[in-house]
Amino acid sequence: MLNIDNLHATVADKPILKGLTLSLNPGEIHAIMGPNGAGKSTLSYVLGGRPGYEVTGGGATFDGQDLIALAPHERAAAGLFLGFQYPVEIPGVSNVQFLREALNAQRKVRGEAPLSGGDFLKIARAQADAMGMDMDMLKRPVNVGFSGGEKKRNEMVQMGIIDPKLAILDETDSGLDIDALRVVGDGINRIMRKPDKAVLLITHYQRLLDYVRPDFVHVLADGRIVRSGGPELALELEREGYGALAA
Amino acid sequence: MTLLALPSTREEAWRWSDLSGLPALADAAPRGGRPDVSALWLNAGGPRLLFVDGKLDAAASAPGGLQFGPVAGRAEGHPLARLAEGDGWTLMLSADHAIAGPVEIVHVATGGASHLAGRIALADGAEAGIVETFVGDGWANRLTAMTLGKGARLMRSVRLMQDSGFQSLRDQAEIGDGGSLVSIFLGVGGAGSRIDGALTLAGRGAFAEMGGALLARQDQRHEAAVVLRHAAENGQSAQTWRAVSADSATTSLAARVEVARGAQKTDAEQSLRGLLLKRGATVNLKPELEIFADDVKCAHGATVGELDAAALFYLASRGLLPAQAQALLTRAFVADALERIGDEAVRAAFMSDADRWLEARS
Repeated sequence: MLNIDNLHATVADKPILKGLTLSLNPGEIHAIMGPNGAGKSTLSYVLGGRPGYEVTGGGATFDGQDLIALAPHERAAAGLFLGFQYPVEIPGVSNVQFLREALNAQRKVRGEAPLSGGDFLKIARAQADAMGMDMDMLKRPVNVGFSGGEKKRNEMVQMGIIDPKLAILDETDSGLDIDALRVVGDGINRIMRKPDKAVLLITHYQRLLDYVRPDFVHVLADGRIVRSGGPELALELEREGYGALAA
Repeated sequence: MTLLALPSTREEAWRWSDLSGLPALADAAPRGGRPDVSALWLNAGGPRLLFVDGKLDAAASAPGGLQFGPVAGRAEGHPLARLAEGDGWTLMLSADHAIAGPVEIVHVATGGASHLAGRIALADGAEAGIVETFVGDGWANRLTAMTLGKGARLMRSVRLMQDSGFQSLRDQAEIGDGGSLVSIFLGVGGAGSRIDGALTLAGRGAFAEMGGALLARQDQRHEAAVVLRHAAENGQSAQTWRAVSADSATTSLAARVEVARGAQKTDAEQSLRGLLLKRGATVNLKPELEIFADDVKCAHGATVGELDAAALFYLASRGLLPAQAQALLTRAFVADALERIGDEAVRAAFMSDADRWLEARS
């Protein structure tokens, strides 16, 4: 589904990704772990198409399509969802308003009929309920006044509404307490643990992986995957630290 | 040829103005006729007036208690508004004479120039709302003189929607003890504009607000110049302006607060914000405070910037097209100013006018 091949990328002319290769098949959940500064967030932004993150070599395909050639909104319409480490606050724009517009923009690209206000609200309510989020919060401006945990829940509600094929989740576990971690973990499993979907879970700690069990774990260091393995690799990292592995 | 004595851009108060199109408009003959303005009425149940080129179209109007004829109120030497002194409309209201809904006035310009005065006199305790809409093409020049008695309340909303030409409005107001005047302007459409305000909080505990959203595109120019004067104690005032410039447009805001000696406990708030949608666009902001009392609170802020890149990417990552994301964020930016309109139906109408402007761009 996602094939990243020898990907090189720079931010402000500084090389961050230095030949990253990784493949995700449908039905798989991959975790990427690594120390600070390894390039984890850069990888998520490059795959999402954030301006300022420049691909200087290699590439990535998504369902056979050249992902890097697509604009961010086209990647979304193709089925890619980016969960932000720091979801952006947008005063004056309500969650439901923007999500309905976003979902219908995606549907239009895919040649599907737009959802009516009523149909959209039905989906939104179901997803908010599933994440234990009050519908009133979904009517408020995007992430404004939300706690760190509420912002992450909101990311999951958005993911549920958009129902993507591929989710790239950047440190979705940061800023969450144990209860919220469980809710978010359950959300990822419920929405994405399906034979035709895949997840790239970027995380610093092992603890989210107690709830979302990855099929593969990769270690990212200095812009490359330096080691890959099964779920046991995450436990080993937790025990021994990144230092030992990078050495 | 009409001899027009127009202010020069060498004068500080007119440095950002472009009045160069006015002499030709002053000489042009209006086409006249009766344009279809049915979509512009809010049908709020109040009196309605249709002016075509500054002349009342009686058949299309339902003036209620409004009067027509010579208007009391002078332009205080204002170079454009003095042309509008003379005939016009007057709304006089006492506390025991309520109107069903806001007074609606639609001004249609059909080329050429029209000058018209208006006067609103609210007696002690009277309340009124007024919505004015400018459409068409040509030069619409207006003077509106307002006096509010003790505890009188006026909610005024004005939308400038002419396709081309120029709209110049001069508002003058004197607000008595505990009176409240809120004036909100929306500039959309394609014509240039100049909004002048001279509001005086003459009575104790009065409230005055003047603000709005001015959206300009191509080589259009919108401009507002407001002087808000606190002349008595315990007054409160607000100026919330949002200026949006696209393409090579220019939007300018000069907002001044004066606090007279003795106007203690004044609480004045001023928020001027500009948004540049293109690198070649311009926003000029000139906040000014002149304070001669020592126990006052004057908050002011003036910023110009572009749309937040992080927010644009966040919206795009959810599937919004770049133009949609830009429109959504711009809408939120101008909503700050339009939310000050108290009447829900009026606010909704103004918001959808702003939406149409944004959609036309996307």
